[in-house]
Amino acid sequence: MISKKSVPAILAFSAVLLSGCSEVSPWERGNLAKPQMAIDPTPAQTGLRDHVYSSREGASMGHAGVGGGCGCN
Amino acid sequence: MISSKLKVQYSAIAKKLAPMRFVSRREQPRAAETAQVALKALSAAALALPGVASQPAKADDNNQVSVQYGYYQEGERNLAGHSYNELKLKPIRADNQQLSAKTTFADRIKLALNFTQDTWSGATPITTAPEAAMTLLSSGASMAIQSGVLSNKQGTKFYNYDSNGRLKEHSQSVHMMAMASPETRKQGDARIGYEWDHVMLDVGGGVSSEHDYDSSFLSSNGRYDFNNKLSTLSWGFSYTDSQIKSQKIPQYQGYIDYRTLFDNLPANGLITGQREDWAAHLGFNQVLGKNTLLDSGINYTYSSGFLENPYKVAELIFIDPRQAANPNGLVLAQTQGVAERRPNFRNQLGFSTQLTQYVKPFDAAVHLGYHFFADDWGINAHTFEADWVQPISNGWTVTPRFRFYSQSAASFYSPYFVIPQAISYTKDFKKDYSKLPIANFSSDQRLSGYGALSAGVTISRQLAKGVNLDAGFEYYTHQGNLKLGGGGESSYADYSSYLANASIKVDLSALANKFANSSSHANHKAHAHHHSAPAGVMYDHMLTETDEIMVGYRYMYGAQYGNNFNGSTKVSDLDIVNSACTPRPCTETASRHTMQMHMLELMYAPSDWLTLMLMPQFMDMSMSFRGLNGAPVITDPQDGMHHHATGSGDASHTTGGIGDTGFFGMFKLFEKNNHHVHLTLGLSAPTGDINQKMAGNYLHYGMQVGSGTWDFKPSITYTSSYDRWSWGGQVNGIQRLQDRNSAGYALGNVLQSTAWGSYDVFDWLSASVRGVHSLQQAVQGEFNGPHDNSSPMDYPANYGGSFWDMGFGLKTKVLQGQFQGNTFAVEWLQPIHDRYNGYQVERQGELNATWSIAF
Repeated sequence: MISKKSVPAILAFSAVLLSGCSEVSPWERGNLAKPQMAIDPTPAQTGLRDHVYSSREGASMGHAGVGGGCGCN
Repeated sequence: MISSKLKVQYSAIAKKLAPMRFVSRREQPRAAETAQVALKALSAAALALPGVASQPAKADDNNQVSVQYGYYQEGERNLAGHSYNELKLKPIRADNQQLSAKTTFADRIKLALNFTQDTWSGATPITTAPEAAMTLLSSGASMAIQSGVLSNKQGTKFYNYDSNGRLKEHSQSVHMMAMASPETRKQGDARIGYEWDHVMLDVGGGVSSEHDYDSSFLSSNGRYDFNNKLSTLSWGFSYTDSQIKSQKIPQYQGYIDYRTLFDNLPANGLITGQREDWAAHLGFNQVLGKNTLLDSGINYTYSSGFLENPYKVAELIFIDPRQAANPNGLVLAQTQGVAERRPNFRNQLGFSTQLTQYVKPFDAAVHLGYHFFADDWGINAHTFEADWVQPISNGWTVTPRFRFYSQSAASFYSPYFVIPQAISYTKDFKKDYSKLPIANFSSDQRLSGYGALSAGVTISRQLAKGVNLDAGFEYYTHQGNLKLGGGGESSYADYSSYLANASIKVDLSALANKFANSSSHANHKAHAHHHSAPAGVMYDHMLTETDEIMVGYRYMYGAQYGNNFNGSTKVSDLDIVNSACTPRPCTETASRHTMQMHMLELMYAPSDWLTLMLMPQFMDMSMSFRGLNGAPVITDPQDGMHHHATGSGDASHTTGGIGDTGFFGMFKLFEKNNHHVHLTLGLSAPTGDINQKMAGNYLHYGMQVGSGTWDFKPSITYTSSYDRWSWGGQVNGIQRLQDRNSAGYALGNVLQSTAWGSYDVFDWLSASVRGVHSLQQAVQGEFNGPHDNSSPMDYPANYGGSFWDMGFGLKTKVLQGQFQGNTFAVEWLQPIHDRYNGYQVERQGELNATWSIAF
């Protein structure tokens, strides 16, 4: 299980994120809109890779929502 | 890249135009487009996070169709020096196909549909034991674990005698592998969402089905944009219900004791269980600056029920503490393979964060991600990911990628379990596992401590506005000594694999815009293929303009079930028993045989008299069996490996994967007064697998995924039309260019003739009637290796015939709006008169469905 020590660390980190972020005006968001800046530029491939990882690794095993299928032998 | 001067200008314009709504233009990012960034980023993030359900409908792609093929191949594992060849094993491979469609209604309602299918086969570890306990069975070809092994009293060292009678220590672990026959999983899911200005909510669900595992799942996601869309909060919930229904591992039936899981397995040997998974996700996405995005999330999953893998066995090694040691200080330990046992619930927590940074000098983006995972089974895992997305000129993008994963072992994992007890027995002389000192035990390597390193590259090309091609490759290595902090599983469990994939994505909105922007072109497109034939006719039309491209998708379903025939005569079970498998008697027959084909059709016209076509396809077949009434009982050591349940209910096989690939050239021969004739010459490359086997035996000819031979596929097509009527005819053939494929046989040649007429009921809808005659030869040659021989489908003479079919079809062309230019067609082919070669199950018909768009 996640250790008790790390909980405050995660919370603190999240708080930092939520607080002061510089204002970025709409006309300054050109770079952010580029296709390479998509958080996942290749979602279909990511889906396939995740399916392979989840059927081969302990951490992602059995996670719900990606939806059924074992493919797990 | 935009030069700095241009950029100043662009910013100035953007400021003025900022309040207006824009249609996005990829080449020139503008202000309004950026308003969607956060949405896009967030939905993609949710995709990347395990534990969360769902893939919120993305804000940026309105109408999109994509097709993806994937191929996964594992390398051989180290089996104490024994080769896969020697043990008749093949490493695991999997073929995957994915179809997705997304659309937007009324500007705010998003619908997404997905279909995924994968077929896998190969050898997987079922258990692990010290090498000293392993032996090659005298029949060769398979490893077994001896019921007794010499060990020290602590159970830390294991010994056996070498061929010279000398005692040797062999304590290192070795996997015992089991070959799995091909299995196909299919998954369909759908999601519908509504977008307000700052909020999105969606619900979705789906089902996944394979012969031993069925799941259904429901999920809901939401998203809230605030702080001028610089910040986005997202959340999601999902529920999955899974039913496990698996057969005992056929090769090792007597050897594995399932009483660790079930007091009594039912007589049919079926292992059944149910599990539930609840998952929740909370995510936060923040624009940190003009060039930086940060995305974080927490997810939690609670799983309960049957969490075991029914195909994994734990090796218990009992050492009786009262046993006196021999002069070498050794005792005889007793081994027993048992079904693994895991806790009935699992709490899993994950935390992830990803930084996306624009790198100005290269116009590139770098993604850096970290994911932490912990569960109450004792697994802690860390994942580090990095990629670099580098656009190059002409629409090319290259993305190298790197990933490192490390996990600690589950508390109840061990390669095998030393039990410092004598085996105890119940009153009815069965082994008693109730006094084991451990509650749970698993030797599944996925629960072991290890690390995995992978590296890959993706190459993307924007082919035309709205059409993207992607190809990717990734190499993956799983090694015990890559575990962070050391202490991972030793090297016997190491393996490597690769994953290759290719996809095409068509943005229908972009294409519809393109048509709308050149209205004469649009009209032309809408009517150009007026001649085109019913859905079941292939190679029916050429592209009419130089440089025109068409992307199409074809689905075909065919089924055989019901009565059995010889020629055109209905036959009884006893006829089949006596005559269909000569010289042997048949013992079973197919009760149902289905075939599905998914084909991608890519067409390109280098000039107006020539059209080139490329047609990759994905196949899957299934066959179920029934015992024949009056069949003799045959004991055959070969059949002992074959889990057809002769005479005791239904059994079935599935196969599937990438099929043969066709390359075609179409040549215009004649075009005048609405009469058109063209010749098609094609080659089919044997990319489909013809080594579909079960327990080392070739499966039936009709269950192989390809022909295994290079095939010549010529056809000649005539089409014409008058007013609302159109008609045509085609003769096509398949000539095998080789006498035998590598498995020793060749499918029969085919000659097919067809004629049709169709009527435009409306401008956008036509109905067709068609007659088809097909002549197919029987299979030539026969399997050159061990194969099934108990049913008519195992004999080459029972293939092919002469068949008359009638086709009834509908076709619709979208003439305007956001789906302008799309064509959809369906056709049902109904058998009218069949004359079968040999003995076959009745054909019940064939469905064809196609979609295409030309641009």
